[in-house]
Amino acid sequence: MALAILLPVTYAMSPIAAMVFLMAVFSASVFGGSISAILINIPGTPGAIVTQLEGYAMTCRGKASEALTYSLFSSTIGGIIGLIILMLVAPIVAGAAMQFRSPEFTMATVFGLTMLAYSTPGSTFRGVLSGAVGLLCGMVGFDLVTDVSRFDFGTSALQSGIELVPLTVGLFGLAEVLRGVENNTTQTDRTPPLKALTPSFAQLKRLWKTILRGSALGAIVGAIPAAGSAIAVAVSYAQEKRLSKRADEFGTGVPEGLAGPEAANNACVGGALVPLMTLGIPGDTMTAVLMGALLIHGLRPGPLLFTERPDFVATVYVALFLALLLTFVLGFLLIRHFVRLMRTPSHILLIIIALLCVVGAFAIRNNVTDVYIMIAFGVIGYVMNKLEIPVAPLAFGLILGPILEENLRRSLIISDGSWMVFIERPIALTMLLLSLGALFYPFLRNPGKLLSINQ
Amino acid sequence: MHFTSRFRGSVAIMVLTVTTLTMILGACDRQAEEPFPSNPITLVVNWPAGGGMDRIGRVIAEYARRRLDVPIAVINVSGAGGASGVRHVADSDPDGYTVGILGASLVASQYINPNANAIDDIDLIALVGPDPAALEVRSDSGINSLAEYVQRAQSNPRSIKNGNDAPGGVSHIAATLLERSANIELTLVPYRGYAPTVAAILSGEIQSSTLPVHQLIEQHKAGEVNILGVMSEERHFMAPDIPTFKEQGIDLVAGDWRAIFLPNGVPDDHRAFLEALFLETLNDPDFQAAAEQLSFFITPMTAADTKRFVEAFDQELYPVLLEAGLVRARHK
Repeated sequence: MALAILLPVTYAMSPIAAMVFLMAVFSASVFGGSISAILINIPGTPGAIVTQLEGYAMTCRGKASEALTYSLFSSTIGGIIGLIILMLVAPIVAGAAMQFRSPEFTMATVFGLTMLAYSTPGSTFRGVLSGAVGLLCGMVGFDLVTDVSRFDFGTSALQSGIELVPLTVGLFGLAEVLRGVENNTTQTDRTPPLKALTPSFAQLKRLWKTILRGSALGAIVGAIPAAGSAIAVAVSYAQEKRLSKRADEFGTGVPEGLAGPEAANNACVGGALVPLMTLGIPGDTMTAVLMGALLIHGLRPGPLLFTERPDFVATVYVALFLALLLTFVLGFLLIRHFVRLMRTPSHILLIIIALLCVVGAFAIRNNVTDVYIMIAFGVIGYVMNKLEIPVAPLAFGLILGPILEENLRRSLIISDGSWMVFIERPIALTMLLLSLGALFYPFLRNPGKLLSINQ
Repeated sequence: MHFTSRFRGSVAIMVLTVTTLTMILGACDRQAEEPFPSNPITLVVNWPAGGGMDRIGRVIAEYARRRLDVPIAVINVSGAGGASGVRHVADSDPDGYTVGILGASLVASQYINPNANAIDDIDLIALVGPDPAALEVRSDSGINSLAEYVQRAQSNPRSIKNGNDAPGGVSHIAATLLERSANIELTLVPYRGYAPTVAAILSGEIQSSTLPVHQLIEQHKAGEVNILGVMSEERHFMAPDIPTFKEQGIDLVAGDWRAIFLPNGVPDDHRAFLEALFLETLNDPDFQAAAEQLSFFITPMTAADTKRFVEAFDQELYPVLLEAGLVRARHK
């Protein structure tokens, strides 16, 4: 998002300056997306979509600066690990990523959805219900295989589908504003004195395994074209919940649940650059914009980039490293000020957030329809919250649904309609078995639990 | 529910801000004034920032601006396969301050999508140039020429999997035209855009693709992909060693093109000014050099020629779409 808006600014710059600028924007926007997720419950990027589960919970308990410090710390380490992987083993990672074809994408998405059902706090049935609604929202608009517009109610407004940004901004941000208005709580009441709230070094050190796991996961998933950071953070969150001794407390502000996904979404930056630099394939929307920028400056990323323009490759590495460093320094200095923003009287703060919701939804496509969609999902998010249905699965369904449907149908076109492709290919089969294992493990362990609706 | 007065106030202000802002964004009014142009001109690109349409749109804006006293702002209005941006311009005030750039998707959309604009809904003022499709195969497929490709496809129908857009997209139409003109049958595998198609041919999921030359030229140079032919009248300047389909005995010209357009009903003097402005810009050698650097063919045409060109394209495309079952929204 930030990248797309700032891209035109670079057109007048020299190619190297433009690259440094865009790498900095790319890298810093990942942490930026987490700031809004932690402070005001709006994920700024798809990769920040589970950040708020723990991060905003911590803010509500008056631990905003603690959450931001955890996030900054794990983000920086995750980003550096992603960069190291990009520098040292890019060709190997790229080779592995190219093993991913439509059947693998299908099963990776199935695995992501399973992890999602597993990691939803509270009732699994409500989580799955919400996820199913999300999948349905993902089907709105033009279908890839037949090019027929679906679920558009005859209006052109819904033909382009439901964009992720208006949906998440409404579902999380505007719904939170509505709740704030209703609850009559002021943020000032919730924000205790600032001192002594940053975690100690020992507390951060305790998270090193979590951060390493998240980073490795992020770098690998990021390198797979089209998988993107949303899958990486979903898997990372579920994994941390599974490994944690305090799994029951997830959703109330557990540092592990914040640090893992934060490391993962930053490691994704390095990962996503792997296919772009080695093969000339942009892996997600962010790198697609980056590729556009390169083309504008007459650079054509592809297999020959490393031999023809080593200077450029080196620039990218250095730029990314500097960006991580600067984000860390700036973040560290600014955290207390970010938190102070939350002490703004809530009748002003809520209006500002509502404004940002409208502008953010509009800016993504310059389309006023997206503002209406955002408002609609704001109401839906508010109602779902009243009914105690978790909203995060809905956003995940919207992200994963189109990837799942598209790749499933394409796999079947390529295999001439044979479902055996999912079993014959080792990576696809492994992920299928993992998903089945995750689904049936709790049932085998405790058959009664699955049948109780209210947990 | 009990609200304190402060909160009742904040609810009111919030509702007011949201609605006002929505209305401002929705209305986008602009008054017509003389002399033209005395306000900034908006160029609407109907695909997202960073894509091919965005790149050429911004270069055109950049060079056109040098001939004006007012700025040209480029905005991206994407969605519905390019139809949203076209509608945005078609529905804007016909005062000459909103200009759009579009591609061949306009022609297919009008038959496929009931909500898309027809060619008659807009006023084409200049053709920028073609972006011809090409046929690429993986090097390890053992296919080294177009003749071998056709032979392989004829001896074993549907055995070659070709990567392309969703039905109605430019590279899908190129693949369909290839099937018709070479009398072969392929398995057409749809991808969402060019980048995933490139990824698929490199991963080996598909054996061939019908993407524009510049999408795979680097991989061609690196020996991973063979470009067998270009679907244009003349050879592509980025790949002068690759023959056209016509040279190889198959009468096939296909691919995208780009044109500049206005909403219908722009006053004649404003329209004439804009037509001259964009024609001069497109013929500017500096602009052409910049566009070539970005891998764009520039072959400017006047408004009248552009209309004839697009009508001819429409005539040619209609039977293909009809046969593919894609004519759903309106019939000829």
